[in-house]
Amino acid sequence: MASKHTIATRHAQGIRARFASRFLRSLLRLRRRSNRFGGSQSNDEGIGKRIRTDRIKIAAYASMARAVGPRRTWSRALLFKLRNRARIHGVSRKRCLVSEKKRVTRNKVVVAISREPSRADTLRKLVPGGDSMDTCVLLEETAHYIKCLATQVTVMQSIADRLLL
Amino acid sequence: MDTSDKDKFELEKSNDNPINYHSSGGMSSDWRFNSTSIPNSSLGLVPTDNLMSVCRGDLVGAASCSSSSVIDSFGPAMWEHPTNSQNLVFCDINAQNIASSSNTVGIGKGFPFSSRNGIDRTLEMGWNPPNSMLKGGIFLPNAPGMLPQSLSQFPADSAFIERAARFSCFNGGDFGDMVNPFGVPESMGLFSRGGGMMQGPGEVFVGSGMKSVSGGQTQKNVMNAGEASKDVSMSVDHMATEGSPLKNETKRESLARSRDESKKGAGGSGNDSDEAEFSGGSGQDEPSMLEGNCGELSAKSLGSKKRKRSGQDAELDQAKGTPPSAKGSPETQQKGDQKPASTTSKASGKQGKQGSQGSDQPKDDYIHVRARRGQATNSHSLAERVRREKISERMKFLQDLVPGCSKVTGKAVMLDEIINYVQSLQRQVEFLSMKLATVNPRLDFNIEGLLAKDILHSRAVPPSSLAFSSEMPMAYPALHQSQPGLIPTAFPGMESHSDILRRTINSQLTPMTAGFKEPAQLPNVWDDELHNVVQMSYGNSAPQDSQDVNEPLPPGHLKVEL
Repeated sequence: MASKHTIATRHAQGIRARFASRFLRSLLRLRRRSNRFGGSQSNDEGIGKRIRTDRIKIAAYASMARAVGPRRTWSRALLFKLRNRARIHGVSRKRCLVSEKKRVTRNKVVVAISREPSRADTLRKLVPGGDSMDTCVLLEETAHYIKCLATQVTVMQSIADRLLL
Repeated sequence: MDTSDKDKFELEKSNDNPINYHSSGGMSSDWRFNSTSIPNSSLGLVPTDNLMSVCRGDLVGAASCSSSSVIDSFGPAMWEHPTNSQNLVFCDINAQNIASSSNTVGIGKGFPFSSRNGIDRTLEMGWNPPNSMLKGGIFLPNAPGMLPQSLSQFPADSAFIERAARFSCFNGGDFGDMVNPFGVPESMGLFSRGGGMMQGPGEVFVGSGMKSVSGGQTQKNVMNAGEASKDVSMSVDHMATEGSPLKNETKRESLARSRDESKKGAGGSGNDSDEAEFSGGSGQDEPSMLEGNCGELSAKSLGSKKRKRSGQDAELDQAKGTPPSAKGSPETQQKGDQKPASTTSKASGKQGKQGSQGSDQPKDDYIHVRARRGQATNSHSLAERVRREKISERMKFLQDLVPGCSKVTGKAVMLDEIINYVQSLQRQVEFLSMKLATVNPRLDFNIEGLLAKDILHSRAVPPSSLAFSSEMPMAYPALHQSQPGLIPTAFPGMESHSDILRRTINSQLTPMTAGFKEPAQLPNVWDDELHNVVQMSYGNSAPQDSQDVNEPLPPGHLKVEL
């Protein structure tokens, strides 16, 4: 644990270390939760592959957003979205997703997009929280987002590799 | 005391009316109330809402934060009246307690009329030397119309100015130190600081008062008072020499100077707020922009000196140029606040080049932009140019991040590449999460070891892995087709696993290939995943089957293992 912290505090490896620790912890948590609910069922049954996949994916994004911190717009937007999703989780997934989108579009994009969505719009959809940014900020956030996504992918790859071995 | 109170009251009223800052019906009652309560309290707190329209929030804040003791001693009744928080101004000079009022003096640096009232008290207390001078001037404006007379009767302008100038130097520092020996001169200084009791032109005083108030507005510290007092003394001199016709200019210059002074302090943010106020409230988006910038600018504005100098240049330019050139776009506001089309300031030019290069100049308050030779100097086009430069700069940075974009030119193609890359990364995350979901049961084993290995090893991987993935396809075109053939031979234990992987990969490959301009790139990334999985599945079982797969794979495998 001490080594982990010292490693994590080093700025050079900052994001990766933080993300890795958080992600592993959340994976453990998920694992324990699934174990608690259903003994030792096989992975592909029971909870369902898709649900488990989604949970892991959400855990990955959440841990990445938290590792980045609230300094970045996209991390804040991502955490907000995840929190809302978790909050409204019980009600109805479809409904909440739709309402989220509506809410976003109402606030940010007022005009109905009759023109072809420009590249910037596509990028806005990809980057979390991209609706409320102007182009200049959008590019900056995209750069940081790409960097974090890349680290996320590498960490997850290495984890999966080690687990599979 | 009654006479003095009445005088004060009338003085206030008279001051208010010509200045016409803020006439509220409750004023008279306030004054009356104040006049009764003030003598009771040890403090000379007199609400003046003259300047409050400009700076009330900050002043109150300054008052409240600077000396709570002062406030405590103040009668609570006093506070009820200025519920608007507009009327509350510390009358810094209460002759009864010069020592205690020294603190208040520091606070109430920007209040001309209040200080004037304070001087009343000071005079009453037996402040002999200036008595003759001030009495006439201070006590005179008993009626609105009498103000000019009072001004004319204010005999010792020059002497007063001298004293103000002299006393201003005492004020540059902790006002708490200014106790009795300087109590009297201090009051004088404060008086001058208050914005020039010298009523040459009343408006000039108002302007300077506003200025000093705004100075205080930005700087809640006492330090600013000294600077503001310098401002005031300068303005006082100015006024004494120039007289009323120059009042507008003086006002603006004093405003500029106050802005400079405020910049000397900690706050670029305060500066911006000043400008927001002073540029006639022009541009409703201005304050918001400035506020938006305040956060980031105040964080950067630690090197005060340089900013001050540059700011002075800029401010003077602004003062001399068209005051509200705020019709520019909001982005214009970010850069050097007002960019008059002249862009004459050299300092701003230098800073423009520095500032526009990036937001990593901590000493810049705002980015000055200079029109380059042969280019349009319209504020709109200037702002657009800066915006375009920013965007191109960010695009260059993105080009470095996204692999395979070094040869791509043009914003559109670049954006397409970026979009593709982000989509591919997100898909990779999804794929990996699915992979992890299938292998999750083994997670319990040696998490810490995993973590350590991750951090130590994967550090070397990232730049190479993705680039590697792009290189992979060249080497494995044959494998690409052979994979599906090999996969079905996977061992039963792994069959479901690889089937799932294959299915997902194929399902994801098709949309990817459809959407890509460089189809070779992404599918190869997936190939890597597939390679890894296949490699491992084959590695666990019969090696013969996987030989043909293994041999080409080792480089990929090495990549993964790293």
